Amino acid sequence: MAEKVAGRGLATANKYYQDYGGRARELKKQGQRIMGYICALVPVEIISAAGFVPFRIKGDVNEPITKADSEMETIVCPLVRSCFDMSLKGKYEFLDGIVIPHACDSICRTYDVWKYTLNLPYSHLINMPHATGDSSLSFYRAELDTFKRSLSRFAGREISDESLTQTISLYNQNRAKVRELYELRKSSPPLISGAEVARLLVGVVGIPVEESTRLIDDVIEEVKQRGKVLPTKSARIMVVGAQIDNATFIDLIEDSGAWVVVDDLCPGAREFFSDVAVTPDPIDGIAERYLRGIYCGRTFREKRESYYEYLGQRFGHIGRFTKEFKVDGVVLYIYKYCDPFGFEVPAMKSYIESNGTPVLYLEDEYSMSTIGRLRTRIQAFLELLGSK
Amino acid sequence: MTEEKKEEERKKRSTATEAAAKIGPMVKAMIASVLQARDEGKPIAYTFICCCYDEIMRAMDIVPHWVENYAGICGAKRDAQRFLEKAESESFSRSLCTYALCGLGFDAWREELGQMPPDAPWGGQVKPDVMLGSGQILCDPRNKWYQAAQHYMPNVPVYNVGLPWPPYENDYDYREVQGYYIKYIVEELRGLVAFLERHIGKKMDWDRLSQLIDLTDRTWNLIWETYELRRAVPSPMGTGDAMNTMVPIVFMMATQQAYDFFRELNEELRHKIANREGEIPDEKYRLIWGGGLPAWFALTDFNYFNSRGAVFPVETTYRMVEAVYNFDIDLSRISDPLEHIAWRWLKYWTYWYDKARKRPGSHPDVERLIQYIEDYKIDGIVMHEAFSCRTWHVGLIWQLNRLKEIYRDMPSLILESDIVDISSYNEADTRARIDAFIDTLEAIKSR
Repeated sequence: MAEKVAGRGLATANKYYQDYGGRARELKKQGQRIMGYICALVPVEIISAAGFVPFRIKGDVNEPITKADSEMETIVCPLVRSCFDMSLKGKYEFLDGIVIPHACDSICRTYDVWKYTLNLPYSHLINMPHATGDSSLSFYRAELDTFKRSLSRFAGREISDESLTQTISLYNQNRAKVRELYELRKSSPPLISGAEVARLLVGVVGIPVEESTRLIDDVIEEVKQRGKVLPTKSARIMVVGAQIDNATFIDLIEDSGAWVVVDDLCPGAREFFSDVAVTPDPIDGIAERYLRGIYCGRTFREKRESYYEYLGQRFGHIGRFTKEFKVDGVVLYIYKYCDPFGFEVPAMKSYIESNGTPVLYLEDEYSMSTIGRLRTRIQAFLELLGSK
Repeated sequence: MTEEKKEEERKKRSTATEAAAKIGPMVKAMIASVLQARDEGKPIAYTFICCCYDEIMRAMDIVPHWVENYAGICGAKRDAQRFLEKAESESFSRSLCTYALCGLGFDAWREELGQMPPDAPWGGQVKPDVMLGSGQILCDPRNKWYQAAQHYMPNVPVYNVGLPWPPYENDYDYREVQGYYIKYIVEELRGLVAFLERHIGKKMDWDRLSQLIDLTDRTWNLIWETYELRRAVPSPMGTGDAMNTMVPIVFMMATQQAYDFFRELNEELRHKIANREGEIPDEKYRLIWGGGLPAWFALTDFNYFNSRGAVFPVETTYRMVEAVYNFDIDLSRISDPLEHIAWRWLKYWTYWYDKARKRPGSHPDVERLIQYIEDYKIDGIVMHEAFSCRTWHVGLIWQLNRLKEIYRDMPSLILESDIVDISSYNEADTRARIDAFIDTLEAIKSR
């Protein structure tokens, strides 16, 4: 049984956000084993079923990258570099191992750097295919079996179908709670700010799933109880990007006079809006969800009849969000050196704009030094939205 | 063409071998043949190097247009900036792969004009009938480039071939998983054949495919044997030339032309070795090009190394073959041609795994460096970090660190610029760094 989370929801979420890793460190001292991972494409259900607490490795936008440069090239995605830098600096000294997926070049091509430099007791690369056809799904399924066997050996215990089914259920409950949370953002003004959601979602990927679910539930109750305390602002914004592991950029938008009411991000809607189906062999459901159910730029989907339909297949969920959450404008926020999302920009931008929603595309470097420039661009975009 | 451009074209890198000097015209003819194929209505495919569909395309008479090659040509001719800027104007970040940016900028411009952009290098890049991408364990652009290109050519279909290989892990041997890797690759290749038959309207000639596979095996063996000749002291051929002779390896595989080219190169190297004729008259330092694609606009840097007494008998870049008779599987016994291709692919990528496992703390990439350092009597390592390519340029620093830890401390130099974007390059700075590196080598030699 997991510990009861102390304190009120938002305050606790903020504590976990500010002291990221603190809870995992406590659990480690209590004898639990902690498995680090990078990216939402790692099937945390398998890690949990093996008896580990999955812990998402995150960077720190306020911490200059220094140590990482002695092992990792500066042409790597700055977020990955920051994650590695924090790891080298001992921020995540409690990890028993690391699991890295074939998500993108910046993550996958640095696997050996992570593995050999950190020298953790366990490491594993999940070789996820890019394509989503049936042969790719079968292959990926076999890869997950390999991962399961490998992790089981390291854990010293069998990962049973029963335990997998149980963790699948726990994570699906967790995702359902996040979706319930997002419902609170649909009103105008929203009941919860984008920055509050960002702090919560970043914080909960570093704690056990049961605690995460309870915390999100606490936040939902707290927000419902406080009612409409947030002021009306000039625009409702959706943020789209790869991974944002801090609230700085969301704060920036909200300090500039808009609410961030929905996103297509990790952590965020991209990873919490699709469930693992319950299947006789639980690995089947996990494979299906992680390969086909997460709409990430790194995954290649076969083209449908017309190009417009194809764009809908890739970006239709963004279009649906803009309607459901009454979005006035979309900000594409993409880090430098991000090939999977960088190549999406013209197509994604044209698709969203063709549905009548203005788009601002920003490229950033995962650094506080760019805040001034970003603020100017955001303010100009909000003025543009206001004049429409 | 402006006078400035003509001047730049005159500054060509001098080659050590006659074979390497023939490459320029060969590439020009290759590009011209694609343009001619367009006029003749032959099917054309956009393709990437090292995707193991060479034999499949050629057996079906599909004309490959190698997009990385064309971007490299634009870079080498110092005429890529306008295409990069066009891509940037389309909202592609300049930090992305500049091969892709150059190609996408060209395609966007061509489709906008309805004809080739003005003064397109060597006649330009034609609109293809199909685009063949690949999903590997490296290179996001191979997975994304053609999808992005469809924004400008929405009716050109894409097939993305899944081509994984097992990672090098501590807790299991790759042979434990190779069965399902092969199964997947074969299914993907079968899907490719079906895709091509559907869109090109021509059936696969399976007998011809088998013949071309045999030709490719023989070519791989010949290339490996030819490059091994470069172990000789003095070395008869350097990496500068190998950046030319990569053309038959990666753009002409499964053709008699590629095989014949290496037969001639083999003979030429044997002749040079017999006459003790090195790449340069007075070979002082033997270096390995230990990683990274070259700056195509600055190949004369290899001549600069030569002018300082340094030669490159070996490189890891573009040496993308092994002798198939050294694999732990007899490929000739595999009757299914697609399975043959799949096994060759997997055995190539796992070739150094067993050797690495024998040395504590080693890794296949590092083990390969060590083997080459010993076989080719290497004094120092040079690498190139191209800012726009994470595929081949991530892990270089780490490899050098590993090498120092498990083998020995070698003098090393990491040059920095790009494959296509000349704005990243500073000749004076680069050569100053080469000078300093040579000074280090000299100091070590004179100890």
